[in-house]
Amino acid sequence: MTSIAAFARAHMSGGGDGDIARWRLHVLRAIALFFAVAGLLSYPKMLIHAGATDRGMIKAFLTGLWLMSVFALRYPVKMLPLFLFEFAWKTVWLLAFGLPQWFTGVGSPLLRQDLPQIGLPPILLAIIIPWGYVWRHYFQQPSERWR
Amino acid sequence: MIATTHDAARIEARQANVAPDVSLVRIYVLRAAYLLLVIGLGGMIVPDLVIHPAISRGVIPSLLGAVWVLAFVGLKYPLEMLPLLMFEFAWKSIWMVAYGLPQWSAGQLPPTFAEDCFNIGLGVILMPLVIPWGYVYRHYVKRSGAPWR
Repeated sequence: MTSIAAFARAHMSGGGDGDIARWRLHVLRAIALFFAVAGLLSYPKMLIHAGATDRGMIKAFLTGLWLMSVFALRYPVKMLPLFLFEFAWKTVWLLAFGLPQWFTGVGSPLLRQDLPQIGLPPILLAIIIPWGYVWRHYFQQPSERWR
Repeated sequence: MIATTHDAARIEARQANVAPDVSLVRIYVLRAAYLLLVIGLGGMIVPDLVIHPAISRGVIPSLLGAVWVLAFVGLKYPLEMLPLLMFEFAWKSIWMVAYGLPQWSAGQLPPTFAEDCFNIGLGVILMPLVIPWGYVYRHYVKRSGAPWR
């Protein structure tokens, strides 16, 4: 039993990323780095000059993602939920807003700008996210304790 | 045989590494937080995603919709999905500091202020109570990162 635990610890060290190709880790890190640097250049300034009556939710969301990307730089595997979130919200947008508006030709005034900015990243993320790992780790693995 | 050993190893690892880390009570508190997102947030957001004006931009409902979708995974794996709650805490605190409090003190409120302030303020108060900070520190700060080469 102890040997199994030792085997497991050896395999699970560093966030249990033994079964993710190294190139994926590098690309996930590159995305996190891009977020971290781009965010550093824009978000703090944006928040300091926050509009007096701006609703601010989108900007707060983006700044939150920027902060989390710093964690993702060091722990790309443990922070996979962040990448899944990026993939999910953009896909939801594409399915519920972007594509229907594009097909019907009636859309928000920002649709032309949003379509490439929000609609394209999910395609890139779909290639980068290690779906096998996600499946094994977030669906197939026994759930955390219930009792 | 290898697969079986590996599965056993995963379960063992969960028991060996995770179980002593966080109490069962905390796991249930986390599950309650995810359930609150599934039910509370879902009740607000899903209708917006399905029925909305043809010209609405839709970024906010999509962002919240993704939180809702991932909260389901959190019910099964509350610790693995902690980055979702950390993100919830981060963006809500940022909103409160950069928008909510300054607008409130200046008395210049956008029309959505009351609703946003309640929903976001709830997160700012609840998340620090729910998140196991010791676990977060050990796993997302202190622990060695994924390999670099």
